[in-house]
Amino acid sequence: MRFGLILLLLAMLALAYVLWGGAVPPEFILQRRLLRLGAMVAGGCCIALSSILFQTVARNRILTPAVMGYEAVYLLFQALLILAFGAESLRTLGAAGNMVLSVLVMLGWSVGLHVCLLRRRGTDISLLLLAGLVLTLVITSFTQFVQLRISPGEFAIFQSFAQMSFDGITGVQLALAAMAVCFPAALLVRRMAVLDVVAMGREQALSLGVDHGRETALILGLIALLTAASTSLIGPSVFMGVFVANIAYQLAGSHHHRRTLPIGCLIAVAAALLAELLVQHLFQFATSVGLLINLTCGIYFLLLILRKRSVS
Amino acid sequence: MTVPVARKLQSAAAFWRQSAQAMLPLIFVVLCVLSLAVGAGGLGPEGLLRPTSEQLLILTASRLPRLAALVLTGVGLAVSGVLLQLILRNRFAEPATTGGMEAAKLGILCAITVLPASGPLLRMGFAIAFCLAASLFFVALLQRLRFQDTILVPVIGLMFGGILGAIAEFFALSQNNLQSMQSWMLGDFSRVVQGNYELIYLILPVVLLTYVFAQRFTLAAMGRDLAESLGLRYRRMVLLALLLVSATVSASVITVGTVPFVGLVVPNLVAIWHGDNLRQTLPAVALTGAVLLLACDIFGRVVIYPYEVPIGLTVGAIGGLIFLLLILRVRR
Repeated sequence: MRFGLILLLLAMLALAYVLWGGAVPPEFILQRRLLRLGAMVAGGCCIALSSILFQTVARNRILTPAVMGYEAVYLLFQALLILAFGAESLRTLGAAGNMVLSVLVMLGWSVGLHVCLLRRRGTDISLLLLAGLVLTLVITSFTQFVQLRISPGEFAIFQSFAQMSFDGITGVQLALAAMAVCFPAALLVRRMAVLDVVAMGREQALSLGVDHGRETALILGLIALLTAASTSLIGPSVFMGVFVANIAYQLAGSHHHRRTLPIGCLIAVAAALLAELLVQHLFQFATSVGLLINLTCGIYFLLLILRKRSVS
Repeated sequence: MTVPVARKLQSAAAFWRQSAQAMLPLIFVVLCVLSLAVGAGGLGPEGLLRPTSEQLLILTASRLPRLAALVLTGVGLAVSGVLLQLILRNRFAEPATTGGMEAAKLGILCAITVLPASGPLLRMGFAIAFCLAASLFFVALLQRLRFQDTILVPVIGLMFGGILGAIAEFFALSQNNLQSMQSWMLGDFSRVVQGNYELIYLILPVVLLTYVFAQRFTLAAMGRDLAESLGLRYRRMVLLALLLVSATVSASVITVGTVPFVGLVVPNLVAIWHGDNLRQTLPAVALTGAVLLLACDIFGRVVIYPYEVPIGLTVGAIGGLIFLLLILRVRR
């Protein structure tokens, strides 16, 4: 029932977004809006899936994969790219080439992190979190240093990477992102029940006959892929994952992944659409979509901590 | 590795650690002299002892202020790290992981936007106010958490800092000074010259006050109930500690920018050797903080001589590495 209701709402939002405020050459506008809509769907699904999965593995409702340093690595990579080859590099590389490279860099980061830390000690998530946190701080100070070295014009380009945005996404990028969503989704469809068991914790999972270590490693791999895809498609999405996941838990009325995962995807897309509509028609582009989402989700995050007395 | 060899190695490590402690003041002095001598215009021993008038100008206008700023920032950040760790009862707390630095940045930015003609004193007032408010809010936030997962606290703190940073970015974006904000946020001592760094001396009374109240802060770290039953005015102590931290953080952010990890690494290193009694550990914490910053600064000055790597970067890299090693060591 609820699922249908949310889907209906989402469809209405999407229609409103695509059709509201047409202008002179409608085809051009329609095409651009459809591309943005596609970016919202792909990016939103990535964010929702990766955060819910991450919260399942970490058994904690206020975390997103961003704390593992993916976004910091992405920003450092973009800053280095601009520093080394200038703004020209982005033209020669192309948006899709840049995206593929970024995804590879982030996947490499994830593999390095997991192999270095988890090889001997099994799956100790809190160690992973802590190391991710520290490395995020380190990488951020490197990025700050690189930012000082680039010219103001190039800084503006870098800034467009550092902000979440659904603009200027090409069809090729969209296709790549869609592949990155579909592969984990296809894997997960058959594993919903296993996910529910993993969420119960290591001992329970083992006693129920689920190889907890192997499943966790698999899920962490999928999270890496999803996060890399969403970050390179629409930029850092810091708090959005927490927001989406928690709203999904509330609306789904249960913690079965069969329900929370699809609802989470719908909510992520709806939130992105709503933000885009608000920025276009209410704020008249006075603020950016990324900032709006970041601030709203950040405030929600604080409220969540204040209201829920136990979040872990 | 056989057991006796491992034991021997351990005792050797203990020996080196003890002698390192004894050597700490000596290392500090050596680093101070090095810090005075190293730079684009190098000063030999001759120049330090009997400087010509030109060398004297270099010393008084640039090198000595820089040395003072380095030592004070190192001491101040290490002390504020240990204070935050005591008050929040968490080993991973420091100004960068509790939103304090971001809040100070936001305060300075606010002062610049609202009162463009404001002097450094007023800006610092804004920074202190914002930092204190953010720290109080953060403490209140943590008190509402029933389960204080050790790792959760810095995660929440970083996210909190992220929100404050987003607001600051919003301001900076509308004023079109985002890149310049980034530039003065990365810790950098090369801008410290006579006449624009004197605010950093605020750290001196802060450290003295911390020493005076050290026993009570140690008590406060035992938790509210125990501290109150021992006759401590817990709320006042928390407020005082946060005020001291805010003053330190604001003074250092406004003169040199953000310097991460000093507050995180130094107290943890010292706690391994000396434990948690603040009255006893404070001198070691202060000295280690100063030594860490001095060493990182000298490294940053010689590595691409005659240019400089900002200290935010060297401390970020070296401090991060030390901290990772600490985590892995503790886990084992």
